[in-house]
Order: sequence, then C-alpha cells, then structure tokens
Amino acid sequence: MDALARLAESFIGLFQEGADFFVALLTGIIPLLLVLLTFVNALIRFIGPERIDRFAVFAARPGITFLPLRYLVLPVLAVFFLTNPMAYTMGRFLPERYKPAFYDSAVSFVHPPLGIFPHVNPGELFVYAGIAAGLTRLDLPLGDLAIRYLLVGLVVILIRGIVTEAITAIMMGRRTGAGSSEETAEGARA
Amino acid sequence: MKGLTALLERIGRSVGGIVGALYQAGRDAVETVLRNVLPFMVFISLVIGIINASGIGDFIAETLSPLASSAIGLIILTVIVALPVLSPLLGPGAVIAQIIGTLLGSEIARGNIPPQYSLPALFAINPQVGCDFIPVGLALGEAEPETVEVGVPAVLFSRMITGPIATVIAYFASFGLYSGD
Repeated sequence: MDALARLAESFIGLFQEGADFFVALLTGIIPLLLVLLTFVNALIRFIGPERIDRFAVFAARPGITFLPLRYLVLPVLAVFFLTNPMAYTMGRFLPERYKPAFYDSAVSFVHPPLGIFPHVNPGELFVYAGIAAGLTRLDLPLGDLAIRYLLVGLVVILIRGIVTEAITAIMMGRRTGAGSSEETAEGARA
Repeated sequence: MKGLTALLERIGRSVGGIVGALYQAGRDAVETVLRNVLPFMVFISLVIGIINASGIGDFIAETLSPLASSAIGLIILTVIVALPVLSPLLGPGAVIAQIIGTLLGSEIARGNIPPQYSLPALFAINPQVGCDFIPVGLALGEAEPETVEVGVPAVLFSRMITGPIATVIAYFASFGLYSGD
C-alpha cells in the first residue's frame, strides 16, 4: 500500500513540476503580453495596414540602392503590420526573381522582435521567451537582450536577402542558360 | 447652436470610434493569447516538467550545455540545424526551436550556460526558421511555380551560409551583455 502511495506521489510529482513552471510563465508573461498586444493591435488599426501596399510598390524597384528597402525596410514593415504569416503576401509586389529573397528575409524577422513586439508571432513566442525565462530566474533584466536580438535580426535579414537574391539569380540563370539537350542532363543531376 | 451640436456629435463619434477600436484590440489580444499562446505554454510546461522531474534534463544538460556555452559549439549547432535535409523537418511551428530554447533557458538559470550566450543561442537554435514554409510563403506572394522550384533550394542553400554568419554576428554583438555589472 505504501509503495503504491509513493508511486502515485511521484507520478503526480512529474506533473507538479510542469504545473509550477506553467504558473511562473503565466504570471511572468501573460499580463504584459495582453496589454502590449492590445496596444499594438489598436495602433495597427489606427494606421491601417493597407498603407504599406503603396510602400511595397516603391520598394520593388530594381537596383543596388533599393537593396536595403527590399530586404530591410519592407520585411520589417510587413512583419510588424501584417504579422506572420500574412507578411509574405507583400512579395506579390516584387518581380519573380526577388521573391525567394524577400521571403527569406521576411521569415527571418518573425522572431527577433519578439522581445519588444510579441504581436508579430505570439504562437512562436517561446523561441525567445524560453531563453528569456532563464535570465528572468537569474534576476537579469531582459531589455538589453531584447534590443540586441532585434538589432542583430535587422543585420541578418539584410544579409539573408542579399545572399538569397544572388543564389536565386545563379540558379535561374543556369535554368534558362541550359539548352534543351543539357536541360535533361541538368534534371538528372538534380 | 447648430455648430455646437455638430461639434459635439463629431467629438462623440470619434471618441466612440477610438474606444471601439481599443476594445476590439483587447478582444483580439485575449483571443490570440487563448488560441495561440496558452496552449503552447501548457504543452511546453508539460514537456519541461517531465524532462526536469524524470532526470532526462541532466542528460540533456550534459550534452547541450557544453555545445551552447562556447562560440564554436554554437556554430556547430547552427550548421547541424541549417542542413538542407534537416531544416525543413525542424521547422514546423518552430516547435523544436521553442523546446530547445526553453531547455537552454533552464540551463542558463542553473548557471551551466553563461547569460551572455543567450544572444548567439537565439540565432543558433533558429537558422531553419521558415524552411518548412517556403512553398506556402512564396505562394502567398503570388510567385510562379517556376519561382517556387528555384526558390526552395535557393533559400535552403542560402541558410547554410547565412545561418552560421548570423550566429557569429550575434556572438560578437553579445560582448558586454550581462557582464558590465
């Protein structure tokens, strides 16, 4: 009987640990998240997400000088106002050869702002919040990490856009450059 | 008198509009939390609870902590996660990234990983972001099927390069993080 009781206790203990963790998350994350989400939702409502359509048309122009607009400003605005996954619809304003790079750049920005703007991707909050929870338990402030995550994210999405644009250009060139006889060989290799 | 009523009406209307928008924003926020955040919180609490209470946590700590507490280890982790074969499998819902992130978080709390490694770790666990979603994401951008054919491998190959670059940048950007005081 005693053994059974101990077994039951350790069984419950397995989940009590999880329950304690849940309460810590609940009190630590949810209240701020709710208030912040309400604010940003209202802000987006007042500004009107349809306005970035016009900007997207402008940013879609070719040329090196538009690189930062294409792979930095546009993905940031798209992710902030349209959030994951609707942000990727902004790709429709870009020419085909830029679309993969824009997607790469936009999708890479759905996590870096989570420390400050969790509304962009609340369903995947724990990519950031999981690591942040550890720092909270050490009584370390999160502001520094949140802002650095955001800033490094900006640099990374620009690099991703440029690199992916180059790779896409090479792969598309190979595809159109290959003659009909070479095309089958190319296909066999791939 | 007529001007005054018109003014009052306009004020009333705009205040009503603002309050209505704020109220709706609050409603959306609660719904997002109920639908997307709380279920994942419960799931991750269960996983972490079992991992910690059963002792698997110690095993993971022994294998993961050394990897996550040096620059080289983090880059190795990035390269593994960014492999074009693995990255689309690890992507969905960012579940893997979220679980590994939470595990690393508890290791940071236990003192096994120095806090300044939190920044590069955020990038090391996530070079596969969106790799499972490329065709859908491109379709949302109204891309032609030929673009999707080229785009999927282009993004996957690009991550092999930009994944480790991101971790290295984050490593250098973490200097001075949680060590000043």
